[in-house]
Amino acid sequence: MDLDLIGDLKRIVGDRWVVSERESVMDYLLDETPDVVRPKPSSCVVVVKPCSAEEVSKILKLANERKVTVYPVGGRTGLVGGSIPTRPGIIISMERFKRIEVDNENLMATLGAGVTLGDLISAAEEAGLSFPLHPGDEGAFVGGLVATNAGGARAVKYGVMRNYVKGVEVVIPTGEILQLGGKLLKNNTGYNLMHLIIGSEGTLGIITEVTLKLYPQMKHSLTLIAPFNSRRDAIGAVPKILQSGVTPLAIEYVELDEILKSAEHLNEKWPVERGFSQLIIILTDVSEDALYSQAEEIESLCKENGSEELVVAETREEQDRILRIRSNLYTTLKPDVCDILDVVVPPNRLAELIDIIEELGVKYGAKLPVYGHAGDGNLHAHIMKVDGRPPEYFEEVKRKIYEASVKLGGVISGEHGVGKTRIKDLGLVLSGKEIELMREIKRVFDPNNILNPGKVIGEA
Amino acid sequence: MVKQVPDIERVRFDVETGRLDRSSAEGITNPFDLNALEVGVQIKERLGGRITAISMGPPKAESTLRDCLARGADRAVLLTDRRFAGADTLATSYTLACAIQELGDFDLVICGEKTLDGDTAQVGPEVAEFLGIPHVAYVEEVRAFDRERIIVGSDVGRFHYVYELRYPCLITVTKDVNVPRLPTLRDKIRARRAQIEVWDAERLSDVAELNRFGLKGSPTTVVKVFTPISSRRRGVILEGDAGEIADRLFDILKEVGALRIEGE
Repeated sequence: MDLDLIGDLKRIVGDRWVVSERESVMDYLLDETPDVVRPKPSSCVVVVKPCSAEEVSKILKLANERKVTVYPVGGRTGLVGGSIPTRPGIIISMERFKRIEVDNENLMATLGAGVTLGDLISAAEEAGLSFPLHPGDEGAFVGGLVATNAGGARAVKYGVMRNYVKGVEVVIPTGEILQLGGKLLKNNTGYNLMHLIIGSEGTLGIITEVTLKLYPQMKHSLTLIAPFNSRRDAIGAVPKILQSGVTPLAIEYVELDEILKSAEHLNEKWPVERGFSQLIIILTDVSEDALYSQAEEIESLCKENGSEELVVAETREEQDRILRIRSNLYTTLKPDVCDILDVVVPPNRLAELIDIIEELGVKYGAKLPVYGHAGDGNLHAHIMKVDGRPPEYFEEVKRKIYEASVKLGGVISGEHGVGKTRIKDLGLVLSGKEIELMREIKRVFDPNNILNPGKVIGEA
Repeated sequence: MVKQVPDIERVRFDVETGRLDRSSAEGITNPFDLNALEVGVQIKERLGGRITAISMGPPKAESTLRDCLARGADRAVLLTDRRFAGADTLATSYTLACAIQELGDFDLVICGEKTLDGDTAQVGPEVAEFLGIPHVAYVEEVRAFDRERIIVGSDVGRFHYVYELRYPCLITVTKDVNVPRLPTLRDKIRARRAQIEVWDAERLSDVAELNRFGLKGSPTTVVKVFTPISSRRRGVILEGDAGEIADRLFDILKEVGALRIEGE
């Protein structure tokens, strides 16, 4: 690493916050991307830990001047290699951006990019409010959740990250600090750059602070588990639930084999050992009576679709256990996963997609575990290793699942993003003109292509 | 035996008065009691029989009994009366034991090892003493049971005991004894509409002395409740030459009472 550069970085953030020793740098090179598809990280990097937008601005100005590549990292929970430094350069870790300010009157929170999802949930609760979304790993940073427009469970009722973000402070690659949006529920003043930043996966700017919408605390909630004997029956119930007028906070689809393994992995017990497929449905309401009348409506729809008896978790402990086991599914599968796909289709086409995946599994003799956010039409299909290695059919099956999703009116990523691993399949969804426009946008923000280059839209 | 307790994760505790603000969080079924009910349900599944859930508490504790009905109890009795209020563990156990007597013949009384709010673990064994039946506390495994007896493993810290008890008897169970099952939605909805039997003090007049209920029957008085403030280790770095450091260290140790010089 260039010693001059390290010296300059130390002058900006202080000696203590620049890490260049190989062993310490190693911790910042990887995220949760499966090893088979993970891009190879460059270890010729220096990690810098600024604590203000001004410091980030100085680092980016310096990098832009010297044409040094910069990689912003958060909680490193991404699944598509989005934060992996693929070239020598600077890693900017946002771990010191920990400010939390909850505004009860406006039902909003302003948070430093390094606040974790777990911290955010607790802070909202302590203030008597709630942050309903649950994009998986609670160690994820808020900055990353916004940069990737994360989704996860509990997005059916109030939407994904984009629906929560009201303001963003971002430092663009040329060093200017922009305050986009604010504590506003309406804002039609010019092009909406904030929404361009949301989901840009750290390629257009480094998010330093965000303002998120919170909701009143959910007074009553319960979690239902409906066991079905087939994938099709379970998925088929979802559009009926959505049409009924009852909008659950979450409708998750899991399969018994995998969820039992996930529970075992955590040394916990999954409450329902019946059926092949299960729907996990989380409901919230202001009164318990209203909640149970919703539950009864859902029960009759599930039963019409072949569900066995539903079970209900009412206590916080029991509901948390269900969510914890559900959130652990990927962690359990990960050692044997070649890739976790993140396809999304219109919710009413999900059953067809599942059928196609099932057929592909039979045709190739492949195990393709699936689970996902059924209420959003978002499915995670996994292509598994065989004898510890990627099978020959790996790329072919992946491509076929992508093609099927696109044919059903879907796209290749609902929430994980494109990062590095999905660039080669981008052409399945985006037209040449769209990619060209995106590259132009990137050039406007980042004329020297220093920020997270080669991600999302690849190289021109 | 079950109890409704405040959701300990949400309830506010007033450090000044030492009281729980019970209105600050909704009541939940004492988690250990769900393990107790699950033991009962598993026995019932194999041997048949009927489970009666019994609780002493304010009228809102009905929801806990409904929870028990949903999870496999056949009958639910709530002991609620102003005269029961202010009871310590002795008066509580006396009242519950009287109610169990009033219910008639029974084989096995099961309760959680303790409650989240009281944390005494006394009520179960005291009830057994009032009833004059054998009892084992801290049961963490039910090894076997049939129509005559039950064999349980009990954890009391350094030792693990295995007991064989003949009915009627009482056990208190830990969280390790099982994982309580979730109720079906059907059973939950049925239980929400079920009638809960409510018994007042008079109802027990045939088997009990009424002046042994509630505050009157409670010899325990709470003088003060306080939360011990935990002090953390503080590191001090002494600088200077060895002699100076030794002197300073000597003074500090005297100051904090770690060292006392005879005659001073």
